[in-house]
Amino acid sequence: MGRSDIGAATQRTPTTTRSNPARLATADAVLPPGEAALPRPPRPGLEARRWNKRSRRDALVFVAFAAPNVLLILLFTYRPLITNIYYSTLDWTLGAASATSVGLGNYVEFFDSPDASAVLGVTAIFTVTTVGGAMALGLLVALTLNQRLKGRTFARAVVFAPYVLSGVGVGLVWLFIFDPTYGVLSWMLRGIGQLSPQWVNDPKLALVMVILVYIWKNLGYCAVVYLAGLQSVPPQLLEAASLDGASSARRFVSIVVPLLSPTTFFLLITTLLSSLQAFDIIRIMTPSGNGTSTLIFDSYLQAFGSYNRAGYSAAISVVLFLALLIMTAVQLRFVERKVHYS
Amino acid sequence: MSWQNLGRTVAGGYLPLAMATLVVFLPLLWMLLSSLKAPGEIVTTDLALWPRNPSLQNYADAASTVPFARFFLNSVIVTVVGSSIKCILAIFTAYALVFVRFPFKRVIFLLILVALMVPPQVSVLPNYVLIAGMGGLNTYWGIILPGLGTAFGTFLLRQHFLTLPQAILESAEIDGAGHWRKLWKIVVPVSIPSIATVALVTIVSEWNEYIWPLIVTDHPDMMTLPVGLTQLVNSDGGTQNWGMLMAGAVIVLLPILIIFAALQRYIVSGLTQGSVTG
Amino acid sequence: MSAPLSRKSFLTLTGASLGAAALAACAGPSTSGGGTTDKSTSIDWSKIKPAATISFMSSHPGKSRETELKLIEAFHAANPDITVNLITGGSNYEEVAQKFQTAQAGTEVPDVVVASDVWWFRYAVSGTVLALDELLNAVGVSTSDYAPGLISDYEYNNKQWAVPYARSTPLFYFNKDHFKAAGVPERAPATWSEFSEWAPKIKAAQNSASGYQNAYQYPAIAGYAGWTLQNVLWGMGGSWSKEWEITADAAASVSAMQWVQDSIVKDGWAGVSSKNAITDLQAGAVSATISSSADLTATLKAAKEANMRIGVGFLPGGPVSASPVCPTGGSGLVVASKTAPERQLAAAKFVTFVTNAQSAATLSAATGYMPVAKDADISAIVAQTPEFATVVDQLKVTRTQDFAKTFLPGGDQELAKAATKIMNEKAEVKATLSDLRAALETIYTKDVKPKLKS
Repeated sequence: MGRSDIGAATQRTPTTTRSNPARLATADAVLPPGEAALPRPPRPGLEARRWNKRSRRDALVFVAFAAPNVLLILLFTYRPLITNIYYSTLDWTLGAASATSVGLGNYVEFFDSPDASAVLGVTAIFTVTTVGGAMALGLLVALTLNQRLKGRTFARAVVFAPYVLSGVGVGLVWLFIFDPTYGVLSWMLRGIGQLSPQWVNDPKLALVMVILVYIWKNLGYCAVVYLAGLQSVPPQLLEAASLDGASSARRFVSIVVPLLSPTTFFLLITTLLSSLQAFDIIRIMTPSGNGTSTLIFDSYLQAFGSYNRAGYSAAISVVLFLALLIMTAVQLRFVERKVHYS
Repeated sequence: MSWQNLGRTVAGGYLPLAMATLVVFLPLLWMLLSSLKAPGEIVTTDLALWPRNPSLQNYADAASTVPFARFFLNSVIVTVVGSSIKCILAIFTAYALVFVRFPFKRVIFLLILVALMVPPQVSVLPNYVLIAGMGGLNTYWGIILPGLGTAFGTFLLRQHFLTLPQAILESAEIDGAGHWRKLWKIVVPVSIPSIATVALVTIVSEWNEYIWPLIVTDHPDMMTLPVGLTQLVNSDGGTQNWGMLMAGAVIVLLPILIIFAALQRYIVSGLTQGSVTG
Repeated sequence: MSAPLSRKSFLTLTGASLGAAALAACAGPSTSGGGTTDKSTSIDWSKIKPAATISFMSSHPGKSRETELKLIEAFHAANPDITVNLITGGSNYEEVAQKFQTAQAGTEVPDVVVASDVWWFRYAVSGTVLALDELLNAVGVSTSDYAPGLISDYEYNNKQWAVPYARSTPLFYFNKDHFKAAGVPERAPATWSEFSEWAPKIKAAQNSASGYQNAYQYPAIAGYAGWTLQNVLWGMGGSWSKEWEITADAAASVSAMQWVQDSIVKDGWAGVSSKNAITDLQAGAVSATISSSADLTATLKAAKEANMRIGVGFLPGGPVSASPVCPTGGSGLVVASKTAPERQLAAAKFVTFVTNAQSAATLSAATGYMPVAKDADISAIVAQTPEFATVVDQLKVTRTQDFAKTFLPGGDQELAKAATKIMNEKAEVKATLSDLRAALETIYTKDVKPKLKS
């Protein structure tokens, strides 16, 4: 019972932005199986002829309703994707009129080069810390918001607000705050006798900086989704545990955490996919990608930075696309297994 | 006993609540304060928190360096037109996917789902070639068109439509209502919170979109706000007018915050409502 | 079964999209060989009539949009048959390059483009811009009309590929008050060793000032390191490269970069800017830095408002070479090769107009860029901003940049990576520079050498 409640809540979770379209990509797979199946209302007593005529009409309606959108997606998402896969087999300098076909050469080169381990490492660190950080902090904030406190509606809105802001604007504001010379953070650190760390110059700190800003921007999303999950935990369950003398920490671990696991899983997948596609903040705060070259940003730099290697860049973005696909496939498998258990 | 309770409420409730709110609020406040300062108060190691002589000079400078009013207008046009069409496309497609019988529905849904996984940067170059070939550089439709196909909105609404009780639709069917009437008289009215959420999300993403408008516009008269904001960053040469940049950031961030404030009730309550009544 | 999507159908779809890749071959570059085409050889320019409309893509370097519009207006007055549309290609040279190269894939290519020191060569090699020799002839302009040190930067393969436009050199900027407080002369140091004697005193004198950091601030590594570090390298007899031979880890280069690292780590009187060294100087956090002459006007204005005395001087020399140790920088104008000859001829007229003596003086006055035309009259500018004389004088002692910095695609990125390791991460200098040499040589062998088949 509790489980399907949460499923419903999770499924309604309607918050994301197009710049992170992958966020909700997989909610479908997280749904309890019964919910997700397409409704097939029984239609007893219909004659075959009527049926045929109707399904023909339905097919027409379907095409009229869905075709514009589907065609646009084919034209502006799939066609570029396929073109891009083709580009990835070329040794092509951006802007040049001709190119040489190199087969899988770009892929081989990427995985052979020291760049691969650096880029994959940065991608892994960025993804794991932003996903983990935003989820852990989001849960804490959600737990706070779940109490009967004055002003919690306001706080909920404020915490969620950065999620709707432009990555370009947010990146600039934080860059100004982090500046080691005249940034307000360095001023505060001086106040307690500390020198400001070299946020931009030190590649490791640059990565820390973009991670912090990314978490700041996305924390509210996790908090609100977790809050929805928490509010579907039947209060009686918590009260019963409380009467038994269970401490609040134990109550949390033994009751709340398991009940939240579908929400957690949903958040894990959606934030994972959006972190892998994070772009604006990294581009604005560290334009040269010093220490912050994730797969998506490295792909951008290889083509549009000073290297101009359009084919190589395409190969990196295909690697990213495949990573996203694999994650989705893994998750589908998880759901299939769940189907067997339940 | 009650003092203890109060202490616990403050330590476990109000304190973290206030902290979370401040962490979000203070950077934005700093942006606002800095946008009101003179250059000498910004580029200094001797910071003062409050502007000495608050002035809108930075806003005037920003507006005279680049045509901010025009950027604003462009962003509004692109956002209004783009997100309206996207919402309508999403409603139609989601309705078709859920309520209309069609043999390849599953494949089409899958197609839409996988589209969410294509990194947006991938499509920049091929779409540029197509749009430029159609004469779409520096046009509103050139900015809007490639983003119109909405995988996300469709997906979200489909998920919502699946939860609608079959009974209301069946009764309409008995009344002989066609799909058009069922869509507008039944499905849409009961789905307003979800549609509002899709609308907000679409508005937010249209407004904040950066890479595509950057690529497809090269005339200041056609640029959108996020693109225009980066035009304020001085080219060749180091001196940055941070006050002006912060003023630009305020111009970009504030409108979306206002829209969010107006619509946030829907998102957040829509979310929680679903779990309480569901 | 009731799971919404099966893995199988998912994989089928993936397979289908991979299979369709072959169908996409219609867009993008051709793979049928060919290579660069030299259009200019077969055209008799005297028979061509200039086009009525052309476009000029710029990043408006040094906030010059208004000035550029003014120059375009003047051009239109002189050539009423030609209209020039000014296009904003981005906020810096890299964004302009990004847009110009993207445009190559489409049909709308801008006619005249601003190209920085690192970009014109790549355009020349990839065939996206024209050699200008015949066009200059056709419009009656000679390369000798330009400042010799600036025009010669754009020669390759015995051809002229660009004309100088918004050209700058780095300048030594210093806080006169800080120098005075330390009791050192209020002038730019003649050599780096002289400055390393001053630096500890300058720093000591400011020690109590809140937020003070260092006597000298190296410019931000992204975008600047490869450029300004050439000054230190050359002064000590090193370089990033000699022609195509990479010399980044030669003994003199290693000791120069070791000196740089020591000034930060061991001696502790220098730091590295995160973003804008000149802004750090304006904030009073550092006492001296090197920045582009394009910053001159804005910096002096800001200093005046903040009641701060800022001086400028030549870049310091080194023990091996006191002069020339100043690299040039900034951008030139190129003409796209993909457009029709009519447009190219109009473009040539425009390019030579906005770089003639009068236009050059206008741009210099508005921004602080160097006058690129030999006969440009800058006396009025110098009268108004005496510091500008330094810019013009230093022009006589500039040196063309190392190939590794300007001609290797990604070369500046590799230089920046190495500089980051040495200056920010205290990496071992010799090993870092050896890695750098290997990376640069790979780029040369792979991306440049095959295309240099004269």
